[in-house]
Amino acid sequence: MNPKTLSLSRRSFLRGTGLALALPWLETFAASTPSKAGTPKRFLSVYHPDGVGLPLKSDPAWEEWSWFPRGGEKDFELTKVLDVLEPLRSDITVYSGLSHPAARRVHGHSNADQYLTGAAVGGQGPYQNTISLDQVYAEHVGDLTRHASLVMSTNGGVGAPRGAQTQSFNREGRPIPAMNRPRQIFEMLFVTSGTEAAERLARSKSALDLLIDNTRSLKRQLSSRDQETLQHYLDAVRDTEVKLAKAQRWIDTPIPQVDTRNLNLDAEPKEARIYFQTMYELIYLAFLSDTTRVATFQLGRENGEGPHDLLSLAVGLSGAHGLTHAVKKPGGWQNLGTYNRYQAEEFGRFVQRLKDTPEPSGVSNMLDNTFAMHGSASSSFHLSRNYPIISAGGKNLGFTNGRYLKFGKGNEDNQAGAGIDTDAGWNGKIEVEELPLSNLFVTILQRLGVETDTFGGQTGTLSRV
Amino acid sequence: MKSLLLPVILLLGDCLAMAASEKQEIPATLEAARELGRQKSRFLHETKAATKADDGIPLANVADFQKLVEPVIKRSCVGCHGPKKAEGKLRLDHLNADLLKGPDVERWREVYNALTKAEMPPEDSLEERLSDSDRATLVLWLGEEIHKASLLRRASKEQSAFRRLTKDETNYALQDILGVDSAFANKLPPETASEDGFKNRSDLLQMSATQFQSYRDIGFEALRRATVHGPRPQPVTYSISMKEQMAMGLSAKAAKPFISGDPASKKHTNQQHLIDTETGMGVQVSEGKALPRDNFAFGQTPPVSPVVWVLPASGEVKLNLDRFLPDDGVMRVRVRAGRSNMNPNEYASLRLVFSAHTSNNASFSQTISPRDIPVTAASDSPEFIHFDIPLSDIQRNPFRKLTTTFPRRDEFLHIKNISNASGGQDRLNVLIDYVEISAPFYEQWPPKSHTDIFFKSIHQEDEQVYGREVLGRFLRRVWRRPAEKQEVEAFMALYSRYRPGFASFEETMVEVLATTLASPEFLYLTPRQAPESARKGPPRIDEPALASRLSFFLWASPPDEELLKLAEAGKLREPGILSAQVKRMLDDPRSKRFVRLFVDQWLGLDRINSVSHLTDADLRAAMLEEPVALFEEILRRDRSIMDFIDCDYAMLNERLAAHYRIPNVYGPHFRKVTIERAANRGGLLPCAAMLTINSDGTDSHPVKRGVWLLQRVLHDPPPPPPPNVPQVDLTDPEILKMTLKERIENHRNQAACASCHSRIDPWGVAFENYDALGAYRTQIKNRPVDATSELFNRQKLAGIDGLKAYLLTERQDQIAQAMVHKLTAYALGRPLSLGDRPDLEQLSARLRQGNDRLSGLIQLIVSSEIFSSKD
Repeated sequence: MNPKTLSLSRRSFLRGTGLALALPWLETFAASTPSKAGTPKRFLSVYHPDGVGLPLKSDPAWEEWSWFPRGGEKDFELTKVLDVLEPLRSDITVYSGLSHPAARRVHGHSNADQYLTGAAVGGQGPYQNTISLDQVYAEHVGDLTRHASLVMSTNGGVGAPRGAQTQSFNREGRPIPAMNRPRQIFEMLFVTSGTEAAERLARSKSALDLLIDNTRSLKRQLSSRDQETLQHYLDAVRDTEVKLAKAQRWIDTPIPQVDTRNLNLDAEPKEARIYFQTMYELIYLAFLSDTTRVATFQLGRENGEGPHDLLSLAVGLSGAHGLTHAVKKPGGWQNLGTYNRYQAEEFGRFVQRLKDTPEPSGVSNMLDNTFAMHGSASSSFHLSRNYPIISAGGKNLGFTNGRYLKFGKGNEDNQAGAGIDTDAGWNGKIEVEELPLSNLFVTILQRLGVETDTFGGQTGTLSRV
Repeated sequence: MKSLLLPVILLLGDCLAMAASEKQEIPATLEAARELGRQKSRFLHETKAATKADDGIPLANVADFQKLVEPVIKRSCVGCHGPKKAEGKLRLDHLNADLLKGPDVERWREVYNALTKAEMPPEDSLEERLSDSDRATLVLWLGEEIHKASLLRRASKEQSAFRRLTKDETNYALQDILGVDSAFANKLPPETASEDGFKNRSDLLQMSATQFQSYRDIGFEALRRATVHGPRPQPVTYSISMKEQMAMGLSAKAAKPFISGDPASKKHTNQQHLIDTETGMGVQVSEGKALPRDNFAFGQTPPVSPVVWVLPASGEVKLNLDRFLPDDGVMRVRVRAGRSNMNPNEYASLRLVFSAHTSNNASFSQTISPRDIPVTAASDSPEFIHFDIPLSDIQRNPFRKLTTTFPRRDEFLHIKNISNASGGQDRLNVLIDYVEISAPFYEQWPPKSHTDIFFKSIHQEDEQVYGREVLGRFLRRVWRRPAEKQEVEAFMALYSRYRPGFASFEETMVEVLATTLASPEFLYLTPRQAPESARKGPPRIDEPALASRLSFFLWASPPDEELLKLAEAGKLREPGILSAQVKRMLDDPRSKRFVRLFVDQWLGLDRINSVSHLTDADLRAAMLEEPVALFEEILRRDRSIMDFIDCDYAMLNERLAAHYRIPNVYGPHFRKVTIERAANRGGLLPCAAMLTINSDGTDSHPVKRGVWLLQRVLHDPPPPPPPNVPQVDLTDPEILKMTLKERIENHRNQAACASCHSRIDPWGVAFENYDALGAYRTQIKNRPVDATSELFNRQKLAGIDGLKAYLLTERQDQIAQAMVHKLTAYALGRPLSLGDRPDLEQLSARLRQGNDRLSGLIQLIVSSEIFSSKD
């Protein structure tokens, strides 16, 4: 049987059975997974735009609806916004006092661009981003899995400079388009690998060579500026070549079959609950089957209309972005807090699922081998400081959870910038001291096994983590 | 350079007249306003060449600045725009007076615009009043300097038209090249819109490895659908006579038979039912069932049967087709149908829906027919209606191939009657007596899409020779220019490498052709330069590139054979030919794509999809169609673009007319309806779509509406909100008591907000008679609507008619310039800059001289230098 026929029959088998016949992953394919060094170490970052609620202490809403916990490192108390994570208390860490120095005076609407990169994306003029945290790890570990990373967002694509709809940026600082349709993601992960047959790969290789030649001859017709545009195409072709070389190694590895009971592949963002859960489930299945070890997921885009603005329908609120603007309306803090609480709840559900699943290699549970973070690069209204971040898991990587870690000086009660609902804040004077988020990123990278002591231009790790 | 010079400095008197006339009485009727406004156009007055057409490099006139301009600025402007206040973050004392080399030309253009529109200095600042002669001094000097700066920029190739095809263009290109109607490019990521709303702007169209991979997949998939191999596949065919369905219906356990005419039959005949019109025997029915027939010749025309399935409005023939439809190929559905009466005010059309119900709470259904098809025949002489549905494009039952019976494997086709009919004695029903379904369906074998690629040739037996023929022809379509010999050879080499892996020539060639669909010259519009000629002026693109630019403009797709031939023969640029081609292209149905893409993006209509307060799908569809239909009417009837501001007709269908409370419009199609002034419609401004997208979900939103008008119609977008703007504090009880309009006024009265909002809000307040869905109202919360406002320049606007009258009297030139800007930006697919200003001004002048005809503007753009220019 030649490889082509083999793969076709596998494909038609999958199609023919539909999604009903899910085979338990462990029994069928665990044995045929290529041997990789030890237990996988995984990374997930979930990003939500528009920040969180941060009322002033004097505001009656402060008691219940201020995002940050109260109290000390161990004896912290979660407010109503995060109390849904109470059952996972010993598996999570909440951070305060972290931000990217290059972005502290950037308007919150540009924040999705820089959360995982730390780049000085600025507010206007030429735009250049840098590689994102997940992609640094993907470069390190991507070859061990069928897909180097899984990049998802509710809005899909790349968005615009300073209006990213993806959390992931490659080595050149170019955005990696995020996938947003569950069915397409599922098919990429578990149905069509794009790497069906050795023959097809070999043909692809010659086709790419020919296209590169075409590009060269076209280049001679173009001005230097247009050559730059064409360079994007050429880079894309070369990236594809690299992918093909990698895919070559996966040809003989069967596509894993997964339990699809919890998937609703036609869900759309406006059906927020089902959509969120399906997207998280796809990450879970991709991790479980070791299809990838790196994932990012952006919930909506900063500032704007679009599908994400309907996500808050899940908790009966319309216009997610509008919630941050409406905190001074009656019930405004509660509405924003309720939406943030819902985001935390879904994250918690995912974390719990990892915790409940034994690691396929047998080394404790999946959560202990996964570092999952959830956060935003805005705290108060459009303010790019004091990022509200939660992380979960990673015990086997060296993370100690069950803590509320405050960094920096002068803002122990998280009141800097609190209560603002105007743009006066984001551009305001920096009165308190915060530590670079990149220091946490370096810690994460090191624990994931990447030898580095810098990220995004910042050197050093974060103590106490 | 002489030929390019258009005098920018219009008669100074004009300019001042415009400034001074801003507060003149507005004529009583909109017709008079339009007439008067036209007379005021500076473009219609013979202008004198105020600037010398120097052949040399223009120099900045800083001397006049110091001598004449600066003193005026110091006297009248610096008080607010200087060291003390810097309103709008503008400091006139800091701007570089050298517009040609300095960095401040864009700020100076804002100053120029504010002065000519009499927005500055504000009326209320007595000490800063600007005398007419001072204003003239500033305007004259600025106009001249800006013009010189724009000429200088024009030569410096600021912007590039080299760009990737958009997602929509990729779709249409594949459809037109391959002759297969499917939305191939849907899996590509969405494009980013420019600030003008356009998604084809060169600098925003990106490329990535994932996207490149998508292009390869899409190209291969499209070719796979266009071509065939092997013998003609045996189709699965259903032939469904209502006589059989009736027999089944009557034999069902819970059958509800009745005799027509019986008093008891009424409750049955009001619902969908099967009836034998000869015997009067009928049976109520909810669904039918059919199995494929072996060896059935599709396309039968059996005698008209007396047994018919009767569908009242919203009724349906629901057919259980079990699990036998193939995975892909086209499904053709033929339905023989007639109307029970021919009442001209009632319509009935057919829609196909596909569904499955796999288990409890696990069902789906979707409309699969792209549009409803009207039933026009009478029931005594029914006629066939047919639909072609690509099966691989629709949601199928994923369980259909299970060997077990649960979850359910069957699939349902619904033929639905979409109608405005109401009940009553002689109600309009659709009567169906026969249905045929076949898949995969081919009009001919091999299909035309296949023989277009693998055409007949005497060399067909010689793969090497024939392969070159196939490739040469295909590459010319894909690259939109003839491929050179060595280019064909390179792909032939690929063919030879691939050949051993495949059984046939065609299969191998499909792989090679797929590669061409991922090639840079397919994916990118390349402004190839015309060979050097004796002609002077900036470099132009060659004719095949011009043909491409033209066809992507008007068809969103590559040039057809006729355009390519003309371009290759070097005849396309001949004036008579070019304009005849534009006319031909606009007459072609493909021009509908241009209309839709342009209007959607120009007006930002896709925002309607994220509006949460519009839940009626028919109303949403109608709202989206109205501005498109209006544009089309203005374009195809050679009307004036001022019709966008006001006209005595509206483009309506029944649903939208009902929303507007305009009577006597029946049916789902859009048509021109003459309206009274009292209808409060006409033109773009009161279109429900605009008013709906610029609402906040519960009520009108004057600020959004104002911004929309400025941005989309007047091309005068307000600056983004500055920092330190306080929010409206809705926890303040005093504020809660106010109406929205009062709140906005309160907000505007705060100093930090005033400078911007006074330029935005009054425009939007004029729309207050329209609610969040664009319905007309005279009361808000039991208080009369107050839609009066005052513009920055003290001009009073009273509601929509006041707004229209003002725009028509005072802003016609600006509206024309905005239209020129928007259409040209879309036509070129690149950002427009200062360097384009002379061309744009010239286009505006000619548009106005040509009576503002939209069709004329498209001709003007296509024949302009800017459209032929390489950069």
